[in-house]
Amino acid sequence: MATVTVERKPLNISPGFLAWLAFIALCLMIGLIAAIQVFTRGLVITNMSDLVPWGLWITIDLSSIALGAGAFTLSAVVYLFGIKRFQSIIRLAVFVGFIGYTSALLTLVMDIGRPDRFWHPWVYWNVHSVLWEITWCITIYLAIMVLEFAPVVFETRFFRRWPWLLDIAHMMHKLAPVLAILGLMISLLHQSSLGATYGIVKSRPIWFKPSMPIMFILSAVAVGPALTMALAFLIEGITRKRTVPHDVLYTITRFSGLGLLVYAYIKFWDLAAVTYYGRTPAVSQALSMLSDQTPYNFGFWFGEIIIGILIPVLIFLLPSLNRKPINLIMGAACAVIGVVVNRWNITVSGLFVPVSYSPGTIYQLAPGQYFPSLVEWAVGLGIFGYALLMLTLGIRYLPLFPKTK
Amino acid sequence: MKNKKTKVKVELTRRDFLIMAGTAGGSVVVAQALTTGPLSPFSNLKQGQLEGIESSAARSKNTFRWGMVIDLHKCIGCEYCLRACSATNDVDPHRPWNIVVAEKTSNGQPFFFSRPCLHCQEAPCVEVCPVKATYHRDDGLVVMDYDRCIGCRYCEVACPYDARVFNWENRTEGNPFIPTWGIGEVERRPRGVIEKCTFCIHRIDAGLKQGMMPGVDREATPACVNICPVGARTFGNLNDPDSPVSVVLAQNATIRLREELGTEPNVYYIPPEEGL
Repeated sequence: MATVTVERKPLNISPGFLAWLAFIALCLMIGLIAAIQVFTRGLVITNMSDLVPWGLWITIDLSSIALGAGAFTLSAVVYLFGIKRFQSIIRLAVFVGFIGYTSALLTLVMDIGRPDRFWHPWVYWNVHSVLWEITWCITIYLAIMVLEFAPVVFETRFFRRWPWLLDIAHMMHKLAPVLAILGLMISLLHQSSLGATYGIVKSRPIWFKPSMPIMFILSAVAVGPALTMALAFLIEGITRKRTVPHDVLYTITRFSGLGLLVYAYIKFWDLAAVTYYGRTPAVSQALSMLSDQTPYNFGFWFGEIIIGILIPVLIFLLPSLNRKPINLIMGAACAVIGVVVNRWNITVSGLFVPVSYSPGTIYQLAPGQYFPSLVEWAVGLGIFGYALLMLTLGIRYLPLFPKTK
Repeated sequence: MKNKKTKVKVELTRRDFLIMAGTAGGSVVVAQALTTGPLSPFSNLKQGQLEGIESSAARSKNTFRWGMVIDLHKCIGCEYCLRACSATNDVDPHRPWNIVVAEKTSNGQPFFFSRPCLHCQEAPCVEVCPVKATYHRDDGLVVMDYDRCIGCRYCEVACPYDARVFNWENRTEGNPFIPTWGIGEVERRPRGVIEKCTFCIHRIDAGLKQGMMPGVDREATPACVNICPVGARTFGNLNDPDSPVSVVLAQNATIRLREELGTEPNVYYIPPEEGL
């Protein structure tokens, strides 16, 4: 056995970093206490009900998976289209994707009524169910990301005491293009079928449309890489070390801007076809109920269109704006908010409109009501703390940004 | 721009490729064998349900297809069906399986509308369930496997008739309808699973075993049908033209709820005489 001397550096923790760690610990503590409450007392302590059975947690799931889409998009750019200069951001993108997907799975385990049966979709198959397909794709894709990312972890000093690990890692590195293409197919599938989860439900008028999966994947492909880009700038600002060549980040910015425009285009025609020309009685009634009783329109026009599309498109594409890192970080933050508002608006508004089945009256059920309870927010905060912790540890201890030769 | 687009060199030999393809293929076979195949440690757990959702056409060839006719003209809105159902199946009275609501026809005539689970032949809940915890039996009933449900509530979201309820907590309170309206004939469902009307499946199955006919013999008939003081509900085998339910269907104009969704419910309604 080869012995490698590992010299220990004293831990160098600045007061600012300590405060940051304390903040993360606080988030995690709050989340943990809330999670224990949920596991012991059941979902009754949430504000979800039989009329609105999905809420904040599903929004977090959908958002974090969409925001993790930078991993497969940028992997496809490098391995499928062969644009090698993007190699410098792949590790960060896959790492962010990994954090997004694990956050989603953690939230999902909180959300299902029987967390002890989380493994059932792997054993009891219903190949007709989009949710079954999503569960499979998410877990397979998570495994792909672990394989893609394993070489990065094995390169760290800690693992140098087992040199054979690096050999395996090197072998897996050869696999990278295959994994990336497999990951691309699986990602395209489940990012869209998350939209199909809503789009196929024929009893819910504002969900039931074929544009749903397309809008989900387009928003994910546009915003996922933007988040990765913003994180690269942010990490550079905080650590004062070059992360990714700026020309790569600028290209990603323009790509995201154009992606958001394509998303806006589909959204425009969806709006025109569903709510303007093709309005069925059910859709019209649902929308007028939503605009009378909920901030649906405000969320849509202000949250999704202005904050989520218009502002980021201007920042990402106008030459006078798209060179300053602070602008780009703000733009990406707006785009991220837009995706979260969109996922919230779809989930919760679709459920506010009650199903209508009585032969006598439209809407014999009262409209649904829902605002997340304290416990739901606390679990959300815990998940956020987990994501920040992973990111912090990754930046500090992993070779996320290999020296360019 | 062009000079920056250097191709990533894929360092894969034929040997590498064959190893990878072999590993991938092998793991699919092993996964199949371990989960649904002969090596599965779960093979004793109701493997029958793992077979595909049979088409409604195949099911209609079965001897039995259970269905119900509800006469909205006869219904007086007494809610006895709700109470008998809650007692028999030990359902939370605040979140009943069987609902009764006061309605008005388009010309203002009041009537009462009640709804069990409609046991759709093309049930959206069955399609969306990720684990086949809800499935079609051969006799057309849409039933729940409480031991398999993970509590994701997608079926509750997808059901067009709001026929499903979730167990948000462990129920420990007593049931005010027991024993006045019946005794609890089935176990309470645990926290974290979805539940729904079963057409009193336990009565149907036990009755058939003893040579009784559901819809004719009371012991084999759903509690809501037995209790109805005005005979608004008729239950029976839709595949038998002489069963009481088929006779009522043949003699009356009936509708089904949200026919346009294509769910093909097994519950039919006779509209009030004034029309709807």
